[in-house]
Amino acid sequence: MTDQPVRIRMTYAKAGNLRFIGHLDLQRLFERALRRTNLPLRYTQGFNPHLRINLASALPLGFIGEAEQMDFWLDQEVPLDVVSNRLRASLPTEIVLKELQVIDNQRPSLQASLLSSEFEVRLPEYCDQRTLEEKFASLLAQETLSVQRRKKTVDLKKLILQLQLVKEEQVSLLKVAMKSTPSENGRPDELLELLGLDPADCVITRKKLNYLEE
Amino acid sequence: MQTINVNQLEKILYHIEKPGRYVGGEHNQVLKDWGAIRTHVCLVFPDIYDIGQPNLGLAILYDILNTQPDILAERAFAPWHDLESELRQHDIPLFSLESKHPLAEFDIIGLSLPYESLYTNTLNVLDLAGIPLLSSNRGDTHPLIIAGGQACFNPEPMADFIDAFVIGEGEEVILEVVHAFEQLRQSGADRKALLLELSRISGVYVPSLYDVCYAQDKTIFSITPNNSLVPAFVTKRIVPRLPPHPTRLIVPNVETVHDRLSIEIMRGCTRGCRFCHAGIVNRPVRERTVDEILQIMEEGLTSTGYEEVGLLSLSSSDHTRILELTRSVYEKFHDRRVFVSLPSLRIASFSVNLMGELRDLRPGGGFTLAPEAASPHMQAIINKPLDKTVFEETVRTVFEHGWLSLKLYYMIGLPGETMEDVQAILDAGKRVLDIGRQVRGNRVRVHLSVGNFIPKPHTPFQWYPLNPTEELQAKLDLLKEGVRRTGLKLSYNIPETTLLEAWLSRGDRRLGQVIHRAWQLGAKFDAWGENENMPLWRQAFSEIGLDPDFYAYRERDLDETLPWDHIHTGVSKAFLKRDLEWSKQGRTRQDCREQCYACGILDAFGKVRPVSPLAYWGCP
Repeated sequence: MTDQPVRIRMTYAKAGNLRFIGHLDLQRLFERALRRTNLPLRYTQGFNPHLRINLASALPLGFIGEAEQMDFWLDQEVPLDVVSNRLRASLPTEIVLKELQVIDNQRPSLQASLLSSEFEVRLPEYCDQRTLEEKFASLLAQETLSVQRRKKTVDLKKLILQLQLVKEEQVSLLKVAMKSTPSENGRPDELLELLGLDPADCVITRKKLNYLEE
Repeated sequence: MQTINVNQLEKILYHIEKPGRYVGGEHNQVLKDWGAIRTHVCLVFPDIYDIGQPNLGLAILYDILNTQPDILAERAFAPWHDLESELRQHDIPLFSLESKHPLAEFDIIGLSLPYESLYTNTLNVLDLAGIPLLSSNRGDTHPLIIAGGQACFNPEPMADFIDAFVIGEGEEVILEVVHAFEQLRQSGADRKALLLELSRISGVYVPSLYDVCYAQDKTIFSITPNNSLVPAFVTKRIVPRLPPHPTRLIVPNVETVHDRLSIEIMRGCTRGCRFCHAGIVNRPVRERTVDEILQIMEEGLTSTGYEEVGLLSLSSSDHTRILELTRSVYEKFHDRRVFVSLPSLRIASFSVNLMGELRDLRPGGGFTLAPEAASPHMQAIINKPLDKTVFEETVRTVFEHGWLSLKLYYMIGLPGETMEDVQAILDAGKRVLDIGRQVRGNRVRVHLSVGNFIPKPHTPFQWYPLNPTEELQAKLDLLKEGVRRTGLKLSYNIPETTLLEAWLSRGDRRLGQVIHRAWQLGAKFDAWGENENMPLWRQAFSEIGLDPDFYAYRERDLDETLPWDHIHTGVSKAFLKRDLEWSKQGRTRQDCREQCYACGILDAFGKVRPVSPLAYWGCP
């Protein structure tokens, strides 16, 4: 075992049935999938060692993720195409491996450097584009957009970085970028609820994660 | 064939608790091309996914069926209340996890019935699938409904709802049933002809082909076939040696009750505890070799990625090569970062040392022992003798090995039990706590887990009444009072909840109406609630006009025809009566590897006993 572990960043898509698997379950799924690869995985030190993995951000249940990210560590260098082949063989079909790259150990964790998420929401067909535009305009005209999360009130407006309503091929799409930091985390489903839309009627996809530039 | 509307389902799942239970897609799931396969079987465990999916029996049958190129097997479980109400509201039939086909589209539904509290759920599942509940109301277009599992050794309470029961071990007979089904379907036979043919397969019981007559005192007068081609009794099936163990096990995406690689190292038990249903119905003992177990573990870990392995049997320390097994497991897997649990150990220092052999592969948590009874009087009655010195030495070894927490299983309500016997449980607990504190100081935790004895069919105690609720309550009160200010933790079952299992486990065919009515009144998930379904069950009994006490509190006459007398486990009724007599005399038996007590197993299955020493049978 070398002292310097090899840090690998994996970009993946999560779709289909696996949309309905929550964050903790997904972590366990990755741990087992990694164990099946028989790669020289890095475990934490200590009395109760566990596999060292680090997911960028929890994807809410029901959301599709197109470019989710996770770091894991190996005890020694392994050619990335070998890692890639083994991972593809061991991941469930609805987790699609998109990219692997070796990352400098000194760089901050995914969680610590994550700034924002870009979402695309496919709005229900029964929504008329003009009405939607009006609704969004009046919503954004409000000074604050308060939503209840358990016992605290959050102003959603402060979490919206960019918002755009477009129509592509007869479908109304809401493109929204929201803050994704540990203290300020925006959820597009809350925005939909403010508009009186049931998120279950929409298809919500996280397209991209944006990190602090180094 | 139509699947359900998946888009509609996904919208519903968005607002459902733990939706991952309902979508399948796990690693190692088998998804075959529906249209290219002749016979479609849905294996149904009528409890929620979290409980049903880890069931090893289900995994074994799934593996056997899917290994066949012309058969596909998928899975379904009972939906939790939230999804059930959505399914009913949107008129979506219950569906399989793999291909999302409605259950009614399958050719065969194979129900797993390991315990009685699933009976109402079974009806609920059939209803959600849009399949007629009563076997007599099903026609040629409906799936064949078969059931198996430990509760089916008394199939009678579910006789109205199940077309055919598989009694005993399913590994061989499941394919015989499916192949017979396929052959008869091709020949254009109707349902009646199919059931008649199935009844001729060894180990298959078709209840509609038997008539039950009742005597004036409401006991059973006779159970006889209503067709001359049907056997008068059905003997359970066994596999002479344990078949290859499945290793490509489904890895659940959501957390389940036993989220680990389960390996059956041995089947059956030679100890002969008189209360124990599993000990009788799973005879004879058959072991897997150490090499085979190690190979299963290797392949299973590689294919699942699990971080924990459970080496399972009814009494693991009785495996003839258990020491060699634990040592080899450590040697081979100590650098693989797996935990290995070895539950069901006999009370002896040897058992504790076995766990010691696993060293850092032991999962965290406490140690568990099951003395079941604390006084020599009670231990002799149930044939689980335990020398006081051996017990204390074992307990001491547990603490010396580093465990800080010890859980002890006991039973109350056993035949012949006195308040002194119950007091002995408290005394034992206090003694254990003293020993623990001597060895490890005040951090030690001792937990008494006390269950209520329920007389089970096919056991030497099958004739006994259930201990009345008031008596159980008095015994519990003694325990609750006794643990105060001792530091002992006590957990127990509310006596009233014991009744349901007591009624159903020794019930007869008439209970079918009660089950049906209780379900109509809203009873389901009977193992879950404390006892909120009990008023529904009582109402059902009263509406149907049956007396629940007849089933729970009546001492059966030794000459009475019992509802399960036509179902043979291989252990003779004469042996059970003799063992009951011995119990009353306080006589114990040794492990039957030491001496054969002629229980009948060798008469029933001696012919299929392998001569090879590799396929070890516990019988001498």
